[in-house]
Amino acid sequence: MRRKESPRADAATAVSVSIPRFRKTKEQTYWQAVLAKLLRDKLTLAAIFGLVVMVILSVAAGWISEQVLGFDPTTTNLTKRNAPPTWAAVAWPIFQEFTQTCQAGGVTTCRWSLWKAIVSTSLTGLRDCLAAPRGTCHWMGTDQAGRDVLSRALYGGRISMRIGLYVASISMTLGVVLGLISGYYAATVIDDIINAIIQTLGSIPLLFLLIILSRIFQPGPEGLSFLIGIFGWMGVSRLIRGQIFSIREREYILASHAIGASIWRILFRHILPNVSSIVIVVGVFNVAGAIIAEAGLSYLGVGIGPPLPSWGNMMQGSLGNFTDAPWLVLAPGLFIFLTTLSIYLIGDGLRDALDPWVR
Amino acid sequence: MRQGLTRYIIRRGLQSLFLVWIATLIGFTIYQLAPGGPLQFLDDDPKRTAADFERLSALYGLNRPILIQYLAWLTGEDWFAMLPGGAVWQSGQCRANPERCGRGILRLDFGRSFYFKGSNVIDLIAERIPATFLLGFSSLVISVVVGIPSGIYAALNRGKLPDHIIRVTTVLVNTVPEWWIGLLLLIILGGYLRLVPLGGMETIGDGSLPDRLHHLALPAVVSAISGWISISRIMRFEMLEVLNQDYVRTARAKGLPEHLVIWRHVLRNAILPFVTGLSGIFLLFLSGSILFELVFSWPGMGRLAVIAINSRDYPVMMGLFVISSFLGIMGVLMVDILYSLVDPRVKYEL
Repeated sequence: MRRKESPRADAATAVSVSIPRFRKTKEQTYWQAVLAKLLRDKLTLAAIFGLVVMVILSVAAGWISEQVLGFDPTTTNLTKRNAPPTWAAVAWPIFQEFTQTCQAGGVTTCRWSLWKAIVSTSLTGLRDCLAAPRGTCHWMGTDQAGRDVLSRALYGGRISMRIGLYVASISMTLGVVLGLISGYYAATVIDDIINAIIQTLGSIPLLFLLIILSRIFQPGPEGLSFLIGIFGWMGVSRLIRGQIFSIREREYILASHAIGASIWRILFRHILPNVSSIVIVVGVFNVAGAIIAEAGLSYLGVGIGPPLPSWGNMMQGSLGNFTDAPWLVLAPGLFIFLTTLSIYLIGDGLRDALDPWVR
Repeated sequence: MRQGLTRYIIRRGLQSLFLVWIATLIGFTIYQLAPGGPLQFLDDDPKRTAADFERLSALYGLNRPILIQYLAWLTGEDWFAMLPGGAVWQSGQCRANPERCGRGILRLDFGRSFYFKGSNVIDLIAERIPATFLLGFSSLVISVVVGIPSGIYAALNRGKLPDHIIRVTTVLVNTVPEWWIGLLLLIILGGYLRLVPLGGMETIGDGSLPDRLHHLALPAVVSAISGWISISRIMRFEMLEVLNQDYVRTARAKGLPEHLVIWRHVLRNAILPFVTGLSGIFLLFLSGSILFELVFSWPGMGRLAVIAINSRDYPVMMGLFVISSFLGIMGVLMVDILYSLVDPRVKYEL
């Protein structure tokens, strides 16, 4: 009936024996050891650096777009709609000519010699742009209403990252609490109810439900995060539940029962710390997933509404003319890519660092 | 021999029916949840009066108790007349003209669309199901055909270059929305090089097979990416699990050539759990179809969903939700049954 203790669980008991020795020699707590391991990991450090840069860029979006770029993200300029990046103003028509030569007869007829002109004019353009006074150079072009794409992308980071954080905290809280409860009360009615909810949510097309709900309620960033969050906790809950199976039969849980500790105390003081590393890692991955989900919803036109820029709804503007203005697709996508890549790598590094078994 | 199996299938079937019922409840609730109710669109009309509101409420039967409305939506209202005093519960349009009585979603009557004036919702959906299935099925085939060998290959070359390449690809694909990859490829291959068409399912006036395949190629490959990644991850994991089993060691110890060890002992056991992964992937295709169909202008249910959502076409939204939930639940059920058939070790407990 009860699961036999897995070899992993045996191994975990073994480590509790070896930890005191570890401490004596190094005078390190678990978290210090984790930190030390993280600091040795070059890739994770680079990812942390990348994420910090992205966060600073979006936190300072107001200052940067005003003082450095010289554009307001909401000011429209109808004479400059869908303009290519200023530094590529000369190169863009040449590139279009190049693509036309390609279209003439498949890839074979491409005039590759045109690239020389494209590269050289872009380089001159970049140099001019660096020297140009503030407010004259659109680094990433303009959108369908003539707004500066780069400053919008910086502001969009605020929304997208905020949503990522909110969603992760909502879905992690729900997932951890429900996972702890269903794991602790495994094979009882409470567990069955939670499992039924998970199964229901797991077998209906959630993206569709999410789209309908966000269309009906037209939520702001907080509401949207709530909607994405309440449909994103199932995986976490299952993971935690599985972990608790192996933990709840340990002697120290039995001991706390014996001295009359309340269930909440046992759950949150004795069991939760044992699954904290999983919670942290999954939470980090959740942030990245939420950023991507928001982009999808906003691209469909049901996420964050127009005056506020977000990485998803910036791309929505490209729907009709993405071949004429590919920067509308490229720029926000690049921001998403850099942010989520950093987050993923941090999550990966954390997973290794938090696991006492990986050297 | 396996009497447990029939019971298991019956129980899973009943459970799935229950889930479908829950889905209809959710679908119906959504409609009621809309701020301002189903007549929300009246707010767009500056000349509306309270009388308009009441007239339409009576016409569509929105003034009835919620339970009756649900019953009418689910089972139809034509049979209400047969009950003593039941005619009171019929909507205004039904009483005025028996032709316009709803027949209920159980009889596949999802009402009429607001946006496509007068069209039956079920016809709109039925028209678009083949396109969605074609795209979903092709991407499933592609992801299985690519995913299984790449997972096996990664597992057999664990820690070497191919394994790393597959792992890096996994991370890169996970860090951007798949539809964004599709959009980029569409711009480059479709817009600039004209190697693939910019969208749609066929050139108008040309429905030949090569033309259809030409239109299908890019959407199918792009929407297969996520499935391919998860299948190859499952395969890699399962292969590594099985490779560590005692019977594999025994097979090697008795001098069996390595390729026979892999074919006879490892693959057979590793491929089974992959079937469970299929149900998740099935749902992925059903849900993901909305974004891919938007990107590739694919004339399927996803495109219809986008139109319905942007025009607040509630009957179409509800119909799409219920039907796609039904398809999803049935897909998961089929995979579960398939799994219990192929794996003799499966336990018939839930």
